[in-house]
Amino acid sequence: MSLAGQMTAFTPAQLDEVRRLQALYPDPRAALLPVLQLAQEAFDFISPDVEQYVAGLFDLSPAHVHEVVTFYTLFFTKPVGRHILSVCRTLSCHLLGAPDVVAYLKERLGIEVGETTKDGKVTFFTVECLCACEMAPMMQVNDRYEGHLTREKIDRILERLE
Amino acid sequence: MAELLLMRRFEIPDSHTLRVYRETGGYQGLAKAFGMTPVAILDAVKRSNLRGLGGAGFPTAVKWGFLPKDSPKPRYLIVNADEGEPGTFKDRYLLERDPHALIEGMTIAAYAIGSHLSFVYIRGEYIKPFRIFSDAVHEAYEAGLLGKSILGSGFDLEVIIHRGAGAYICGEETGLISSLEGKKGWPKLKPPFPAVRGAFDCPTIVNNVETLCHLPLIMTRGGEWFAALGTKTQGGTRMYSVSGHVVRPGVYELPVTATLRELIYDHAGGIPRGRRLKAVVPGGSSAQILTAEEIDVTMDVDGLRDAGTMAGSAGVIVMDESTCIPEALWVLARFYAHESCGQCTPCRESTGWVEKILARILSGKGRPEDPDNLLDIARRGAGTTICAFYDGAVNPYLSYVEKFRSEFDYHIHHGECDVQPGRVVTGLETR
Amino acid sequence: MPRLTIDGKEIEVPAGENLIEAARRLGIEIPHYCYHPGLSIAGQCRLCMVELEKNPRPQIACNMVAMDGMVVHTQTPKVLETRKSIMEFHLINHPLDCPVCDQAGECWLQIYYMKHGLYDSRFVEDKVHKPKAVPLGPHVILDAERCILCSRCTRFCDEITKTGELGIFNRGDHSEVGLFPGKVLDNRYSGNVVDICPVGALTDRDFRFQVRVWYLDTQKSVCPGCSRGCNIEIHSNVRRPHHAQGRRVARLKPRYNPHVNDWWICDAGRYGFGFIDQGRITFPQLREGGSLREVTWQEALALLIDRLRAYGPDEIGLLASPEMTNEELFLIRRLAETLGVKNLDFQVPPREPGDEDDFLLRADKNPNTRGAEAIGLWPADRGLDAWEMLEALRREQLKCLWVFHHDVTRCGWPEGAVLEALQAAQCLIYTGSNVNGIAERAHLVLPAATYAEKDGTFTNFEGRVQRIRKALPPLGDSRADWEILGECLEALNAGPKPTRPEEVFRALAHAVPAFAGLTYRDLGEYGLMLREVAHGASR
Repeated sequence: MSLAGQMTAFTPAQLDEVRRLQALYPDPRAALLPVLQLAQEAFDFISPDVEQYVAGLFDLSPAHVHEVVTFYTLFFTKPVGRHILSVCRTLSCHLLGAPDVVAYLKERLGIEVGETTKDGKVTFFTVECLCACEMAPMMQVNDRYEGHLTREKIDRILERLE
Repeated sequence: MAELLLMRRFEIPDSHTLRVYRETGGYQGLAKAFGMTPVAILDAVKRSNLRGLGGAGFPTAVKWGFLPKDSPKPRYLIVNADEGEPGTFKDRYLLERDPHALIEGMTIAAYAIGSHLSFVYIRGEYIKPFRIFSDAVHEAYEAGLLGKSILGSGFDLEVIIHRGAGAYICGEETGLISSLEGKKGWPKLKPPFPAVRGAFDCPTIVNNVETLCHLPLIMTRGGEWFAALGTKTQGGTRMYSVSGHVVRPGVYELPVTATLRELIYDHAGGIPRGRRLKAVVPGGSSAQILTAEEIDVTMDVDGLRDAGTMAGSAGVIVMDESTCIPEALWVLARFYAHESCGQCTPCRESTGWVEKILARILSGKGRPEDPDNLLDIARRGAGTTICAFYDGAVNPYLSYVEKFRSEFDYHIHHGECDVQPGRVVTGLETR
Repeated sequence: MPRLTIDGKEIEVPAGENLIEAARRLGIEIPHYCYHPGLSIAGQCRLCMVELEKNPRPQIACNMVAMDGMVVHTQTPKVLETRKSIMEFHLINHPLDCPVCDQAGECWLQIYYMKHGLYDSRFVEDKVHKPKAVPLGPHVILDAERCILCSRCTRFCDEITKTGELGIFNRGDHSEVGLFPGKVLDNRYSGNVVDICPVGALTDRDFRFQVRVWYLDTQKSVCPGCSRGCNIEIHSNVRRPHHAQGRRVARLKPRYNPHVNDWWICDAGRYGFGFIDQGRITFPQLREGGSLREVTWQEALALLIDRLRAYGPDEIGLLASPEMTNEELFLIRRLAETLGVKNLDFQVPPREPGDEDDFLLRADKNPNTRGAEAIGLWPADRGLDAWEMLEALRREQLKCLWVFHHDVTRCGWPEGAVLEALQAAQCLIYTGSNVNGIAERAHLVLPAATYAEKDGTFTNFEGRVQRIRKALPPLGDSRADWEILGECLEALNAGPKPTRPEEVFRALAHAVPAFAGLTYRDLGEYGLMLREVAHGASR
């Protein structure tokens, strides 16, 4: 986690991992996605400073790193909460009640889609098909899939979040 | 009840471990393959009539055959685990419950095509599958089933697991390649095709997870056996992902000769709450919709194509009579607009346009010319784009409007839905 | 060489050529946006689709290499309908900015819509909105809504300048061209993205809102900014003098020359035309008492001849300039010979060393140094060179110095010594186009036309002789150097004054072996190299 005012930089161990990844692929540029994933874990979200820093590690122009970051939905360019809820909104989930899940979460969390609760605990997105249609309606809670959502289940999930 | 092949280990505890895999006959296919020449393996796959199970249904042996015979460049095998087609979840099950089947299958394929470096591109959201598969790869390396001289054969294979970062278009083979190369997932112009010039400018084969998982048994039991399970043009079984308005959503493995009716009613339990079937999407959202009268079709590539739709990824989405078809189409239109990579003009502009028209229809402000405009927009864009993503969008655009025209006209004429009268589609959250 | 048929016409083309270029050879224009011959293939706009026999689906022409036996159709109903569709897709989110957009009149959405569209718009939704009027750097301004995402600009910054400032961010119809936050588009070739942008997404800040392009006249010329000699077009506005604050030259555009600059020009050259219309000396001037007064050319020339005759050849110095054309330099040599003057030079050190790169920029910021070398504007045996002339002025051994164009008060020589020398001169004659430190100190000022106001030729650093052409009449009472020198030589009985530069060039080609056999007609669009037999050796 980078403190305010501190220069964005990986730790030596993280840099070792960057170099390992760059050497792994036929072209070092291919390590960009895994390194950005590493950066997001290290710095919580990918700011322009982080993009510029990563660009330097790859000898790429910052604009091209920014292109990649803004293209993919899993890269966050703004701070996010400790917990991320991604509600699937594509066809099977929609048919089985995703709009109600979204409405209920808005009500329980008091935020709109894409926003973070004031205490920084939860950020709530809607996303396209997570390919867990057999448990529709469902959402991704951090690194878990939670499906067959009902109000009760949603309540239990929210309670368990620290 | 047909024999389970792909799913045979799913209910066994710890099915994802090497121990269980070996106890249940695992890695015998690979051992057999190492005793064959690559040409012989390719021949067996050809005779099996195995077709790609990711969406395109292309004969696997033919694809492998496109590799140039005399190129000094290294060859790459890419496993497309970027499952993303709405309605599809079979690869997720394979990665979580039988990862070694994929490892064995990809090793056989790599050996057959002469690749020593393989990339497994797993969608970024699949965190649990990624962890399970990574552990399995680790086990395999430890056991000499990956890395140098696998099973003492002298054949080397390195595997790199590469996580995606959230983009459906990275399931398109050249979009995947671009993403693997560290760029935006923009599909590449074809020709050249990946087999000739793919990842890092080298000959590349991209195969779906499920396709590769079939290879071990094709090796041990032979191509003819696999072919006999299916039709004249497509062999074997496949895993159908069933979801939507069914009693038992889930994955079902059936021979490709199975019909849609069987799948929905005999296996997935039919429609719940006593409702009637209204429509089915048989092959993932990019497949043309079928009405309730059209479900007596075999679910093989050619059978569904002849029925005016496609087998695609075998993602079966079932819709009962409570479904508002214009709303269902709008949900998909929103999907395609959100996932369009934006590289080429027809797709970039018209996916957004179609979503807006449908949103307007659903909010009660439709115009009489809207359905015909929708059809015209779709027809004009079809076939003009860099990749088949847009053609995948065109299939629902055209088929939903053509087959359920009266529902669209009702919305436009009355400003509301006749299927769910009084229901307001709130918060039409677009992109 | 593959032989193929396009719209029924057969043609043989070089191997590897794409169908857009092949069709062009037959005069068939296949419409396109993202394709540019100087950049990699993108295949994104989809406008260049054509039908190929043996192929059920139309294919893009830019990415299709011409093959033997190919049969191509560019005008079938399917192709025409596809073009219409692609035009519609390009325009649905495009803002209705034409009334305020500089690109109007040379906009490829307008042009292709009129040619290939002509459908009725049916888009009634809200258009996607993106940033407008965003300055990207000192020269370029972006309107992201107008952008058709052809990626020419991003490819230019990646492949030509290799600076990578621009990217296409986001996805789908929210895709947007832009800079990395906080960065600036300030590479030295930034203006080229304005040329290659087919629409008004990237426009010149300098040209913004100045004048409508349909009022502009164009003329072919060569940039005088350095010894590269990039080919240009001068776009001038004389029809609407109340626009663009009365500037006659509205803008410069690069002109394609595969031997010199391809399609490109540096920003310094592109935007360095202000001097043509500003700060000009527009009438001959004579110093009387402490100040300069306006005189007629008749008076000025009479005085000029009188002065030149008044001094001995050793008392006169001629300081020519590598800004002058080959024709003019040749006339100066003739003047030196006529007067017997040996003190002749053309080089003055620049104030700062010029910047150079491995693309177009050359350190020598003069357009015709090679010409001056080839024609031999050097001191004759034991004549004085430029610095020696100044020294001699200061010591009052040299009495009369005629300086062409150089502002010696602002050059690499110590200013104090230069001013002393000029002060000491009995007769300082200056011929130049713009007001400057030497013009203010001269005894006789003869206003010169700029390169945009005369015909002639320059020789670039490689020895390529290229034509410049008169785009505008000389401003005010200024005259081309060749005219002034012609009058001068005639008055000195050295022959009738030439009626046009081509006459002088012919004489030059006769007299100087390096130019032997060259004619204006042969120089054509791309110029020709000096003959290998160049005498006039370098020192």
